[in-house]
Amino acid sequence: MTETPAPGNKPAEEPKELTAGPFGEFLREHGIASTRLPDSTGVETVLVEGKDLEAALKRLRNSQETELNYLVAVSGVEQADSFESVYHLWSYTNLKELVVKVRVAKSAVPEGKLPVVPSLANFWPAANWHERESYDLMGIRYSGHPYLRRILNPWDWEGHPLRRDYKQPVDSLNDKNPHSMR
Amino acid sequence: MTENQPTSTAPAMPDELKESVQLHNLDGLVEAMSNLISPVANWARSQSVWPLTFGTSCCAIEMMSVGMSAFDISRFGSEVFRGTPRQADLIITAGTITRKMAPALITLYEQLPEPKFVIAMGACTVTGGMFNDSYSVVQGVDRIIPVDVYLPGCPPRPEGILDALLKLQQKIRTQSLAERRRKMGQNRAIRHVDYDTGLPMDSLQANIEEAKSLAQEG
Repeated sequence: MTETPAPGNKPAEEPKELTAGPFGEFLREHGIASTRLPDSTGVETVLVEGKDLEAALKRLRNSQETELNYLVAVSGVEQADSFESVYHLWSYTNLKELVVKVRVAKSAVPEGKLPVVPSLANFWPAANWHERESYDLMGIRYSGHPYLRRILNPWDWEGHPLRRDYKQPVDSLNDKNPHSMR
Repeated sequence: MTENQPTSTAPAMPDELKESVQLHNLDGLVEAMSNLISPVANWARSQSVWPLTFGTSCCAIEMMSVGMSAFDISRFGSEVFRGTPRQADLIITAGTITRKMAPALITLYEQLPEPKFVIAMGACTVTGGMFNDSYSVVQGVDRIIPVDVYLPGCPPRPEGILDALLKLQQKIRTQSLAERRRKMGQNRAIRHVDYDTGLPMDSLQANIEEAKSLAQEG
């Protein structure tokens, strides 16, 4: 990315390579590759490969240096060209925050399949329900999850409601009377 | 009465039970006595409408408030909030009804003994309210159970609940027992989906009729 964007056009999303923050350095020292992402709130945000996720989070949680032992939230995000699973970590001892993202490109997801991200629920039980919610609403499959079922919607729900392409089928619980005001 | 409305008469007695069970059809008697009984019975009913403890969101806070001494719903005979539908007469649907909650609400309504009444409390249960076009919210509780009094507001003030209760009492006083009995069958909850099989009720009904016709042929 040496080309500068043409004037008038929007600048590219990541104009320059960000230098790794302290947690990125920590991960690199332990042999885990990560990319730093820009974040408007100034919280360090790193992108890791799905296969490195478990190792990275185990390191970050257990190491004396980082001690990010509080998993605040697991969320699913649908971007224009990818699905993201986002992990917010917090350390009460160091009062430090870190956001870890795993990205699955939409082009890598086969037709009719869900994007797959490794599950944390087996070594970090706090992730269990968060991952179920993310699966339910965003349709990210967490491989290795002990009980990946819908958690908010009824068990017979079709589709994942927070997807961009989701369309709620019209049935007798939500149809509109054409003569009605609402 | 249109054709598709269920009749109020009890199902036919099976032959094997006819000797052991004696049931008399009371419809005629109720019809004849209705004008005499109705004022007394309705007066008693309207002064002791026991609500079900049913609250699904913020409207329930107002419902609790109306039970406390500041508003004191017991002035109107409705202070006995029951924890089981078998002992209650009234559901105040206090809060948003989601699609996941809908089958539970239908079950609760079906478990209420007759006479049963419903106050749709709050914008969510009247029309869907601010959850208009939401994927998960039932757009008005009258789509699944029959509603007697609509009480809009987000949430309504406790005085609003008292007003709705007084309106319901007026409604109870003006009805006739025979009329109520005739309409018992129509006052049914509407199940759109059978939650044991996950099938829409229409196709379930079609399955039953198909099985019946197959049995008749075979």
